[in-house]
Amino acid sequence: MATVAIFSEADRDSMHVRQADEAFCVGPGPAARSYLNIPNIISTALITNCDAIHPGYGFLAENARFAEICADHGLTFIGPKPSVIALMGDKATAKRVVREAGVATTPGSGILDSIEEAQHAAGSIGYPLLLKATAGGGGRGMRVVNAENELARAYAGATAEAEASFKDGRVYLERLIREPRHIEVQVLGDEFGNIVHLGERDCSVQKPAHQKIVEETPAPNLSLRARDALHDMALQASRYVGYTNAGTLEFLVSGDEAYFMEMNTRIQVEHPVTEMVFNIDLVKEQIRIAAGEPLGYTQSDLMSRGHAIECRINAEDPRNNFAPAAGTVSKLVFPGGPGIRVDTHLYAGATIPPYYDSMIAKVVAFGDTRDVAIARMERALRETLVEGVNTTIAICLEILASSAFRSGRYDVELIPARILTNGEVSAR
Amino acid sequence: MLAYIGIGSNLGDRAAYAERALHEIAALGSITRVSSFYRTAPWGNPDQPWYLNAVVAIETALPARTLLDRLRAIESRMGRVRDEHWAPRTIDLDLLLYDDLELNEPNLRVPHPYLRERAFVLVPLAEIDGRFATLRDALAESELAGVVRIERENVAAMPEQQISSVAERIGALARFLAESGAARVRIERGDDAVEVAAGRRRASSDASGGDGATEIGSARVDTIKADLVGIFRLGRPAPVDGEIVDGDRELGYIEALGIRTPVHSTSAGRIVSVAATDGAAVEYGQALFLISRGR
Repeated sequence: MATVAIFSEADRDSMHVRQADEAFCVGPGPAARSYLNIPNIISTALITNCDAIHPGYGFLAENARFAEICADHGLTFIGPKPSVIALMGDKATAKRVVREAGVATTPGSGILDSIEEAQHAAGSIGYPLLLKATAGGGGRGMRVVNAENELARAYAGATAEAEASFKDGRVYLERLIREPRHIEVQVLGDEFGNIVHLGERDCSVQKPAHQKIVEETPAPNLSLRARDALHDMALQASRYVGYTNAGTLEFLVSGDEAYFMEMNTRIQVEHPVTEMVFNIDLVKEQIRIAAGEPLGYTQSDLMSRGHAIECRINAEDPRNNFAPAAGTVSKLVFPGGPGIRVDTHLYAGATIPPYYDSMIAKVVAFGDTRDVAIARMERALRETLVEGVNTTIAICLEILASSAFRSGRYDVELIPARILTNGEVSAR
Repeated sequence: MLAYIGIGSNLGDRAAYAERALHEIAALGSITRVSSFYRTAPWGNPDQPWYLNAVVAIETALPARTLLDRLRAIESRMGRVRDEHWAPRTIDLDLLLYDDLELNEPNLRVPHPYLRERAFVLVPLAEIDGRFATLRDALAESELAGVVRIERENVAAMPEQQISSVAERIGALARFLAESGAARVRIERGDDAVEVAAGRRRASSDASGGDGATEIGSARVDTIKADLVGIFRLGRPAPVDGEIVDGDRELGYIEALGIRTPVHSTSAGRIVSVAATDGAAVEYGQALFLISRGR
């Protein structure tokens, strides 16, 4: 299958540009003028006779309008139907829909049009609360509200941030569940109504801004009953909306309680851990499904084996609130050996532009057991060498070494409450 | 920083490769001067393919090491033929000069060691920067005879098979030119036409030189780039190399999603190069026209 890559002027020397059969520059560095430039992207697809567009996991991947425009130009958008993206992409609407499907959601409000509405809703849900942007992601447009006197300031901050980040300032409230786990379920659906799940991923290790950094599958320390319940909820909601292609349903889990949080209507950064334990190429499945092929297997054909962990290597400074660190990579060594997979666009001499997400590599470790996977990951991270920019390698090693992670009894407070406050983040 | 970059190609449609390299280089800064294209006789072994050489001056903010990396990246991108992943290299880009910088590192020697001794670098370089005329004139006559200015529309027509005979013809013509003091000689055989001009006689430091090349060398060159992705079409009448344009000539348009977006000249001057091909797909930032300001 031949590929056409698009790139911005800042990514002219990026690996994907070199590897693609053809590559077209679609605009200057700032994403709004390149990777979000729908006319230039569609024009590139048309003049190069593309059949389909894979939107990746950023930028336009969850943009229903883009999916619709693709269809209008005879291009297959590799993802769910535009109507389903629109339905599940709006977080408040998605919750309403999955509640209709019989899936539990955290108590929360609808979209809040004013601070007065927010105050009213907060009173009936009860504090502590989380204020979230409907178009949000990656923690942007999100605020914790511990008590009523914090609400006005949080409301102003969240709406402004959401407006700036997503051009959509709408926000809503939900009950803040203290020290929850963040567990998500991978689903795949074809265009003939077949839907399967590919297990769960525990993504509770998150940076203070709620961005994931270490993910694993299966989720540790989860009862069989709770696990089955999560999978069933995911399938139930996906079937209800007629979901097709790859998607992920995120849940907040506290003890044996689980609430649907949101759905990502795209492939996710952490999909490799699922691929490792199911021995399935999810992106290939996405393309097959988009091409109109049936899944060809049922839930009972799917068996996971072993344990997989992913560490995100970001060019950022954990000691400085994970501030992104653009720069040139002078030296680079990636790990290898049994059970190790590295997904990266990086090479020695590459310049990391300041415009985009700071992730530069995913290191994935597989083992027959969780202990083996952890041991391999530690070995792999010590083997990894990135010179020229600060990275998250050291903090990933600290996370792996922490007793909370080792025991599998950790939640989203692992980094903020334990790693960052437990002495320094060393610059190993 | 002002940097000089040497362009060389000895395979296939050399002019197209050189032009593609020019577009790519245009993205690294602002091109201020472009030399003519030169045909360089095979050196040593007459059975080797001939080289097309040129030199471009670029005003760039990139550090020397980064600039070199970018040039390497352009080479590796262009070394690949669309349908074949590991086709032979088609372009060589050398960082000749970088401001006043002197560097002697394993992979980066500036000024480039070829600078003082090789006609294929010095002749085009002296064309666009008079400071190098003395060095060029110090080269042996036989060296200079092997480097002949060519019109770009003639490049593709030059047959690979008759390399040595064409080279010999050019060499002989160049010697004739040097001795006779004539400005230029054009030879034609069927579709194959070669024009030889007396580059050495044209003092490059002197902007009043006779045939346009010197003017190009001393004028400010603007690059008109595509600001969207689409199919490029030349305007009517089609702009041609050497054409004098006013500041608002409609040079062509880019068609994308059924909409035609016109491409206008941005300043009055002379078209140095129509860099894009009529009907070709163009990407964002791709050079379409090089225009030297003024007349």
